[in-house]
Amino acid sequence: MRKHKSDIVILFTALGLMALGLIVIYAIGPMRANVLNSTYGSNYGTNDFFIGQLRSVAFALVAFFLAFKVIPYKFIRKYAKIILVIALSLSILLWVLSKAGSSLAKCELGECRWFQLGPISFQPAEAIKIALVIYLSDFLARKKEEGKIGDVKEFWVPFVIVCIISLGLVVVAQGDLGTGVALISIILGMLLISGVSSKQYLIVLAIIMAITVGAVATSSHRMQRVEAWYTTLTGGESSDSTYHIENAMLAIGTGGFFGVGVGNSVQATGYLPESINDSVFAIMGETFGFVGLITVISVFAVMLLRMVKVAEHTTPLDEKYLVIGVFAWTLAQVVVNIMAMTSLVPVTGITLPLLSYGGTSMVFIAFAIGLVLQISCYTSREVSKHENTSSRRGLGRAHHTSSRRNP
Amino acid sequence: MQRTKILKRIVFVAFAIIAVRLFFIQIIEHSAWVEKANEQHTMLKDIVARRGEIYMMDGDEPVAVVMNQTTYSVIIDPAVTDKEGIKTVLNKYAKDNITADIDEIFEREGLRYYIIARNVTHTDAAKIAEEGIEGVWFQKSNKRVYPEGEMASGLLGFVNADGLGQYGVEGSLNHILSGKDGLLKTISDVNNVALSIGDDNVKIPAEDGKNILLSVDRGLERGIEEIAMKHIDSTDASSAAVLVMDPNTGEVLTMANLPNYDPGDYGNVKDASAYVNYTTEVPYEPASIFKNFTFSAAINEGKMTADTEYYNEAYTVVDGNQIRNAEQRAKITNQTITMRDALYWSLNVGSIQALKFLGDNKDEITATGRERLYDYYYNKFRFAHNTGIELMEAEGFIWDPHAEIYGLNAAYANMTFGQNLSATMIQTATAFSAVINGGYWRTPTIVKGTIENGKIVDFEHKDLVREQILKSETSEMMREMLIHNRDYKVKGGIDKKGYAIGGKSGTAQTIVNGSYDDDYEQMIGSYIGFVGPEGELPKYVIMVKMWGEGAALSGQEAGGLFDELSNYVIDYLKIKPSI
Repeated sequence: MRKHKSDIVILFTALGLMALGLIVIYAIGPMRANVLNSTYGSNYGTNDFFIGQLRSVAFALVAFFLAFKVIPYKFIRKYAKIILVIALSLSILLWVLSKAGSSLAKCELGECRWFQLGPISFQPAEAIKIALVIYLSDFLARKKEEGKIGDVKEFWVPFVIVCIISLGLVVVAQGDLGTGVALISIILGMLLISGVSSKQYLIVLAIIMAITVGAVATSSHRMQRVEAWYTTLTGGESSDSTYHIENAMLAIGTGGFFGVGVGNSVQATGYLPESINDSVFAIMGETFGFVGLITVISVFAVMLLRMVKVAEHTTPLDEKYLVIGVFAWTLAQVVVNIMAMTSLVPVTGITLPLLSYGGTSMVFIAFAIGLVLQISCYTSREVSKHENTSSRRGLGRAHHTSSRRNP
Repeated sequence: MQRTKILKRIVFVAFAIIAVRLFFIQIIEHSAWVEKANEQHTMLKDIVARRGEIYMMDGDEPVAVVMNQTTYSVIIDPAVTDKEGIKTVLNKYAKDNITADIDEIFEREGLRYYIIARNVTHTDAAKIAEEGIEGVWFQKSNKRVYPEGEMASGLLGFVNADGLGQYGVEGSLNHILSGKDGLLKTISDVNNVALSIGDDNVKIPAEDGKNILLSVDRGLERGIEEIAMKHIDSTDASSAAVLVMDPNTGEVLTMANLPNYDPGDYGNVKDASAYVNYTTEVPYEPASIFKNFTFSAAINEGKMTADTEYYNEAYTVVDGNQIRNAEQRAKITNQTITMRDALYWSLNVGSIQALKFLGDNKDEITATGRERLYDYYYNKFRFAHNTGIELMEAEGFIWDPHAEIYGLNAAYANMTFGQNLSATMIQTATAFSAVINGGYWRTPTIVKGTIENGKIVDFEHKDLVREQILKSETSEMMREMLIHNRDYKVKGGIDKKGYAIGGKSGTAQTIVNGSYDDDYEQMIGSYIGFVGPEGELPKYVIMVKMWGEGAALSGQEAGGLFDELSNYVIDYLKIKPSI
């Protein structure tokens, strides 16, 4: 396949979201600093959070362009297994360090999810997401070519082992259900496209749902969140556990149609927990109102739909699967984060891609989207032949007009 | 179906649900959320007005006797504050102000706020702040300080922990002293720090309270209190109250209630009666002092003069009650004597005689007599009325001349010598002022003015009364008799020559367990008199009251205190004798 220009829509939506994230952090960062300083006696400067976000965006852009322009996907695929092993090893190392009580493992509220190396902290679970996407796209493509999809011994056994190890490290060892949800979404999304039979797929779906329910029901603090969500949704009594959701809703609700304007957020002055990371969507709702939020979710929707289209027009299976993996990852984070903020699902502690404050998640998602853009340079005019082409009508096309000019 | 289409549908459905949800929250429920947000974000805070200070006169200059001092409470957040650091600094600058064991406070789990020191001065607070220890902050508060210590505490009152004036001037004039708190209504952050966000922020500035200047003279008050305390110590009395006023203006120069208490430590006073201002708030029976008022009435009505004679028996019977003279010596008993003598010897039969004269029947108390006495007591001398002084006061009580009680004449007979009624010292001294000042009843005042920007601003007194209730001849005759009462004091060298000092004692039986104590075991001694240069109108009226539980005090002890006080007043206020 000849190379053409990348998908400009994904490129600009991704860059636009990062810019928006910067504006929001610029507006509310000083408030965050003020709250932390007066509540915990810390010593943040007015612009510390904005500078932090600027640094994250800079790193993210580097990762983005490395994936987009520099590192060929074929090269990455070659090391798919090693990448996964490294990512999983990092999480194992973190677990060991935390058990050993090392200061390199950073723990909050009893969950150890970060490496702390001087000023830099790093969340290995984020690495597992990208590693799993890369590994599964290679694995599924190979099995597909070998015709082993659905085979118990050749396909399901290694697939399940990889998935269980990944999920186990994230959800059990790190207690991170948010990342777990993203991993499940990646697994289910890629599996769906891999052409596994509907029957088998539904069985997997049922098993995963059962495990998820089990994981929630056996954890008291997760159950508390479910109860808090149910209370808020049904308008019950406020309590400490409903505080987060209520204040997220309060921020969004006070935004009204046009929002209170940049710099006028009151909820960001300490009322809303996690206002710059997990709850940034709620602050955006207060600041930009209904119009702003609809715009933001539209941008995400457009980006996600374009990813699906890139996948549809990508012939190599591994690349197609990779795009779907990134799509599923992004979709999960966006939908679960926003639905939590609007009290449609319980709060899980998941970042809003490209907008939330936080380096690791932004760098990895930017890298993943960069890979999608790289792949979008090789889409074909036709929907790939592995798919049913019966209904192309009404669909736009991937951006590859340059191939027309250079036949 | 093409499986990527399923993914697209998921995107559409999920985002549609979110969009609908957002519409619901942001458009439909918008006003409800705004209301909830206002509730959460709006901070209402009082801007505390500065309380006015209280001044007294010192000669012609005002001096502060109750002042404000700004102090600071030091607050720490044990989760953040450096324990050793704050310990060292507090021990260095505010050792005496530490409220708790610092080590113990730091061991308490989950404690994020603790007032670790109180009443720290501005200087010390600034030094502590300079150390820059994390998680330490300061709260400003105002404290009343008393440069004169306990002086005049019964007059001044105190300010309670809520900033409300209690008792005395602080209580009675709280509305002037307290000013008006302002209000700050603003959007605030989670730590209640005001934000500039929002357009309906309200700031009503506080109106500071006014500084009040009392007509009381600081030096006189202090000197008189010291003398009175000496007399409490040397007699059976446990308490004394002294009032000094200018009979020609109604201004109060001394108002002492002894013993004093420490208004800065009012909480440690064992008996709340210590707070009471006895001169205005407690009506009692001033006893024979009231003979002045009965005599004045009869003289003013032209029914008698100082030289009018009557036949003085040891007792008289009214409504079947035998009312006796305390003085039974043969020289005056069963003799025809003058009303001047009756006042001199303080004869109850004599004051009852004055009431009989007043009723136009020298042998009996008549309804006309009662009506006339009531008219003088109630309408002219204004007993059973508030005098109108700026302080809290009690009205007291006198019998109506037509009261439907058994023994009304006996009650009126008692009223002629100041029993069976009640009056406060300020009522009595004000009425007495009218008796001796030429006949003018004037509203007593204790507030001279306010002090604004260091200047005295005259106080806008409302409804000040200045009314002539007695003829000047009546007043003159009363002065002559009152001076005559003290002839022996001049002869005894107690009263200085060249001065006109007159006075009258009163010994009141008290009501113990509901009836008059006829065993004379507990009595209240009173004395009222005036001083001035000979041949001139009196300059000052001094009234003294001494009492104590189970103490049989009389006009004798009170008179003793008056003797010393009248001389002190002459010296202190530099009253020049007539040559």
